[in-house]
Amino acid sequence: MDEILKITFRLTISCLLAAFVMGGVFVLTDKAKKHNEHMEFQQTMLGLLGYGKENPPPEDLKLYTIYRYIIFKDRKKYMGYMVPKEGKEGSFHQMIIMDLKGRYIDSVKLDIRQEEALERENREKVLNAALKDFSGFNYADMFIIAEQGGKRVAYLLPGRFPGFKTFIKVMLALDPKFTILGLEIMEHEEDPGLGGEIEQDYFKNQFKDKSLEKVRRLRVIKKPLPEDYKLYLEMKRLAKGIPQDQIQKIRERYRDDDIYAITGATISSRSVTNGVKKMVRNFVYRMGMLDRIIEQQEIEVPFS
Amino acid sequence: MPRRRKSNKELFLNGIFNENPIFRLALSMCPAVGISTTLMNGFLLGIAVLFVQVFSSCTISLIKDYIHPRIRIPTYTLTIATWVTVIDMVLAAYMPAAYKQMGIFVKLIVAFAIITMRLEMFACKNDFVPSFWDGLGMGLGFMFGMMSLGFVRELLGMGKLFGHDILGFRPLLFFVLPAAGFFCVGIIMAVFNYVEIVYKRIRERRWKRGYS
Repeated sequence: MDEILKITFRLTISCLLAAFVMGGVFVLTDKAKKHNEHMEFQQTMLGLLGYGKENPPPEDLKLYTIYRYIIFKDRKKYMGYMVPKEGKEGSFHQMIIMDLKGRYIDSVKLDIRQEEALERENREKVLNAALKDFSGFNYADMFIIAEQGGKRVAYLLPGRFPGFKTFIKVMLALDPKFTILGLEIMEHEEDPGLGGEIEQDYFKNQFKDKSLEKVRRLRVIKKPLPEDYKLYLEMKRLAKGIPQDQIQKIRERYRDDDIYAITGATISSRSVTNGVKKMVRNFVYRMGMLDRIIEQQEIEVPFS
Repeated sequence: MPRRRKSNKELFLNGIFNENPIFRLALSMCPAVGISTTLMNGFLLGIAVLFVQVFSSCTISLIKDYIHPRIRIPTYTLTIATWVTVIDMVLAAYMPAAYKQMGIFVKLIVAFAIITMRLEMFACKNDFVPSFWDGLGMGLGFMFGMMSLGFVRELLGMGKLFGHDILGFRPLLFFVLPAAGFFCVGIIMAVFNYVEIVYKRIRERRWKRGYS
């Protein structure tokens, strides 16, 4: 009995000590970690739009983040879009609530600035206070509208879907007509050398320039990647120049092809393709509803 | 006659050659087989294991008098888990580029047999400085093993090294799969042992010549 007490006591002390150490390090490093994540997010976004270190984004490029929430009232489900707005005292947000069929329900003003809204806890606090009439809400996802010179230039969609191992996190860029501008793989746990090849240009860049109708029917084909296509896809990485007219020809030739699978990684290739398909389909549907309601209700928004 | 205590330099070299974790002690075969698919992965995981091994060995050698004998293993696991978490958080905060590459691997280190075994066999019976050198040697031995595996598998499986095309084509994609990992470990183990036999033979010959 004595032994067991001694052992339990020592184990408890050890666990508490370990917890203190880990907690202490967490408190010290959390801010820096979040900052890094945010920076990487920004860099990926700008990279997809074609800007980077050598090509800084212009002054009139503005990014507006819209957060999507699912709101419950008794047994019914509603969709809520937290839209940024500009006011005299600063920026705030408005939660546009609609039912699942796209009929406008209500608008709620949210007193939270754009920088504050980046943190999930801040949003939840404000929503808890503002949505008192409803039974609850759940965060769904977010997307970003990129504006330049007062016109929409791109949509940026972070997304997550199951891959061969666990989840694959991506960021997709669409142009105003929903053609794919680019795809970036942000996080994955696929096998290096096999599924991990989804990070390579010769797979990712296949999604570029695919139009909306093509994406809706996109499939994966198990054929070897043609040599000229591979050269075109890896142009940036290999820094190899291809004559201008050839680039145009290769683009036209392969624009309406399906996605060529990675050798030895069919499932990962399919996961990414189906994930992108789903993301685009859902987004087009939801963006359409949101745009319609903004127009109908004549809601003032900073993006056109 | 009692065994002479090894000098620090001997401990260090011991971990790399005589008692190399992968090729001699045959410990931590899981990461050796599963993660050594590319040279970069082998290198990064080797570095991570090196840090965890050195820190854990040092910590355990400092608190070895306070560990109750019946809860040794939970204490080792707790120490390793704490260090892994600390290293993970520090990397994520201050070295984001490295973290992006190594992130998944660092979290797996808790389960490696080599670290627990080294704590049990050495750190809990020896002082701080010998434990430090032993941990360093073992960690480097592990890294050396992982890198040699990664070298072979990446070159023969993908024709690349560190991501750069060397061969320009893929000889045999099979080398990237786990089964090939086992084959490679076995073959390199054999080569390792053979090199040691040859080395000992040469050394004996030189020694005998020195006497005559």
